[in-house]
Amino acid sequence: MANEELVNKLKEQIIQYLNLIDVTPEDIKSEAPLFGPDSEMELDSIDAIELTVLLEREYGIKITDPKKGRKVMSSVDKMADYILENGMV
Amino acid sequence: MFIRDLSCISPQATYFDALFENGAEELHGPKLWAKEPSYKEIIPNKLLRRMSKLTRMSVGTGLPLIKKHKDIEGIIIASSNGSLDRSMRFLNQIIDYNEGTLTPTDFVQSTPNSIAGVLALMGKITGYNTTHVNQGLSFEASVLDALMLFEEGKSKQLLLGGGEEMSDENYNIDSQRGLHKAEDISTSELLHSTTKGTLPGEGFAMFVVDANKNSESLAEIVDADMICHASKEEIVKKAKYLITKNGMSPRDIDTLFLGRNGDIRTDFYYNHLQNTLFSDQNICFYKNLTGDYYTVSTFATWLAAKFLGGAKLPEECFWKQTTNAVQNVLLYNNYDGEQHGFILMRTV
Amino acid sequence: MARRVFITGMGIISAIGNNVSENRARLMRGETGIHKAKLLQSRYSEIFPFAEIPHSTQELKERAGITGEKGISRTEILALLTIQQAVKDAVLLKNDLTSFDTALLSASTVGGMSMTDQLHQDANKIGEPSEYLSAYSTGKHTINLLKRFGIKGISATFNTACSSSANAIMFGAKLIKSGRCKRAIAGGADALAKFTVNGFNSLQILSPNPCMPFDKNRSGLTLGEGAAYLVLEAEDVVGTKKTYGEVTGYGNANDAHHPSSLSDEATGIIESISNALNVAGLKPEDIDFINTHGTGTENNDITEQKGMSAIFRKTPPFQSTKTYTGHTLGAAGAVEAVFSLLALKNDELYPSLNCESPIDDFNVTPNMVYKSGFEIKHVLTNSFGFGGNCSSLIFSKV
Repeated sequence: MANEELVNKLKEQIIQYLNLIDVTPEDIKSEAPLFGPDSEMELDSIDAIELTVLLEREYGIKITDPKKGRKVMSSVDKMADYILENGMV
Repeated sequence: MFIRDLSCISPQATYFDALFENGAEELHGPKLWAKEPSYKEIIPNKLLRRMSKLTRMSVGTGLPLIKKHKDIEGIIIASSNGSLDRSMRFLNQIIDYNEGTLTPTDFVQSTPNSIAGVLALMGKITGYNTTHVNQGLSFEASVLDALMLFEEGKSKQLLLGGGEEMSDENYNIDSQRGLHKAEDISTSELLHSTTKGTLPGEGFAMFVVDANKNSESLAEIVDADMICHASKEEIVKKAKYLITKNGMSPRDIDTLFLGRNGDIRTDFYYNHLQNTLFSDQNICFYKNLTGDYYTVSTFATWLAAKFLGGAKLPEECFWKQTTNAVQNVLLYNNYDGEQHGFILMRTV
Repeated sequence: MARRVFITGMGIISAIGNNVSENRARLMRGETGIHKAKLLQSRYSEIFPFAEIPHSTQELKERAGITGEKGISRTEILALLTIQQAVKDAVLLKNDLTSFDTALLSASTVGGMSMTDQLHQDANKIGEPSEYLSAYSTGKHTINLLKRFGIKGISATFNTACSSSANAIMFGAKLIKSGRCKRAIAGGADALAKFTVNGFNSLQILSPNPCMPFDKNRSGLTLGEGAAYLVLEAEDVVGTKKTYGEVTGYGNANDAHHPSSLSDEATGIIESISNALNVAGLKPEDIDFINTHGTGTENNDITEQKGMSAIFRKTPPFQSTKTYTGHTLGAAGAVEAVFSLLALKNDELYPSLNCESPIDDFNVTPNMVYKSGFEIKHVLTNSFGFGGNCSSLIFSKV
């Protein structure tokens, strides 16, 4: 289970980096998919690059392989897990 | 070509035409920001979230027109600076992160043609599509572009428009260039000013234009022309050239829309043209409503079209009012005393 | 009957030469201009190859005869150098230039933002204002060039990303055809800049190796810099001047699919080429040679081949000169118009480079050897850009 504080901070950062409108951190479900047909957010490949930038700037994590990026960014929980394992929180 | 429909976002309440009911609002410098409508009903959130202010204004004015007029075949946009704020954000990222991993959204929108691209995409309009960035003459060139498409018989209906957004960074650059008033000044004082500089503004105006006159035509755009780095005598010569080329004489012009902006260094061009060729005409000003920006001729064209279509202009617009009926209108604007543009319009 | 439009002068500067003859010589020999950048101030000059013009901005100023002038961007100097060539080549006199009938139509994507570091300082009010305060706006180079050449007629600056200067040439041809002008100087310029290098890198489409258009293993584009301008003149003022060819066709369309990539259906490409053929009154089989946009990105090359295959029953010989000059962005349409006119005038084909394992989806491969004595009556040149902007030009023998 990912750190709750980190998850909430991450949600706020996602809203900021993607300029999400009328979305609060509570609206983003931690375990729900961020990308793909089952996601509520309708994010696309440009958003994926934006989230890569978020991880690098906020947590010092550099992701160069887009396939790995998709895996890491599949949900907020997954992102938080990856940050706890690899990042500078 | 004939203006069939139009929409405008500006520092005044123009989006719903309140300007004509309530008159002009006095605005204070140093920056005249556009009054944007709520875009919620016009643009879906998932698209709106990525849009620059300029893109929002262009879609806010353009998309409702595209939805209403199903025969629009092409898009011509004038915007000298495009989504300036995005360019500057991208630029600052390059330096702040020492050319590290950067966000592409700002870069894609930094190019001025992204506006016409977004409108084409949202309206599924695959015809002629271009973007003019020739500083203070961008819109005049766009008018010529549209006229030629119609003359070629390639299109019957087009979306034509333009505008600019302001950014803090660009305000810094233009201030250092000496384009802005150093003192605090309001729009009602602007045209009486005897100092250097003007008030910067922003906005977007969009037109649906037809090749042929029809029952919905509001006004005709007859022709446009331009000249750069000219003496005041050459300005008069160019105005005459445009008017006579279109089978008229200066006496046939009854109303002038002049881009006077309160800059002591360049307003003499307006005085000279007015005194030399147009001593008995209605004289209208508009930069005391909007401030100045590269594509402010789009606002002037919007205002003139409304006037030709029968709207009562706010009293602030009239420098001189005659008893002349409004039939033939000449718009003359110069940017920075260097780029001089003309647009000729008339009633339908 | 609309007036015919002839090309009476050309000027060019690119990574493969300072003028028309130097560029032609390098094309004939198949010598690329893509190398490691020596002048570009960017951390990526170590990582990606570029097609850089091997002269410092100061050297270029000296060549243009403006050594002591301040506040002129590299983009504008490139434009100035090539317009000087084109005006001389077409023997335009002072009276020709100052006539209300003469237009200047330019194009650029980065414009004065090529001075990226200075712009950052001025925009954020860091230190004293730089000499470039008035130079950043894309259209400013055009306004300055009007003054320098004393041009008093119509002017325009196009920004439609990578198709910008093709639109400038198209607009010039239309101004003349419609009787609004007698002559037009039309083209575009773009200098290598930190701004565009970082922009294309953020989209992850810069190739680590020199670009490989139409190769299965292509991995992106190579950025270049350059400028090219044509002098277009109406048939009734050409007189006995030499001509390089005639502008017979032009088309412009929008792909209306995505902000930064082309649709699988090649909608914009097909509409743009069809419009050009239509204006020229030509059938697809009349086209003898195609200069492609051919950037070397995954998306462009396959879509472009799809578009060509949809129009041409048998695709004529085609090539990409971006393997020589890199992608010169706003200048590309005009740079490649010059190359197309050289091929047309001299009846020759230049080799496309770096295509080792051609894309085999459409059973066509680019021309990869120099050929002389290859008769060309009509050449088609294509330019496509971000924002879905597609433009095509057709030049024909006079």
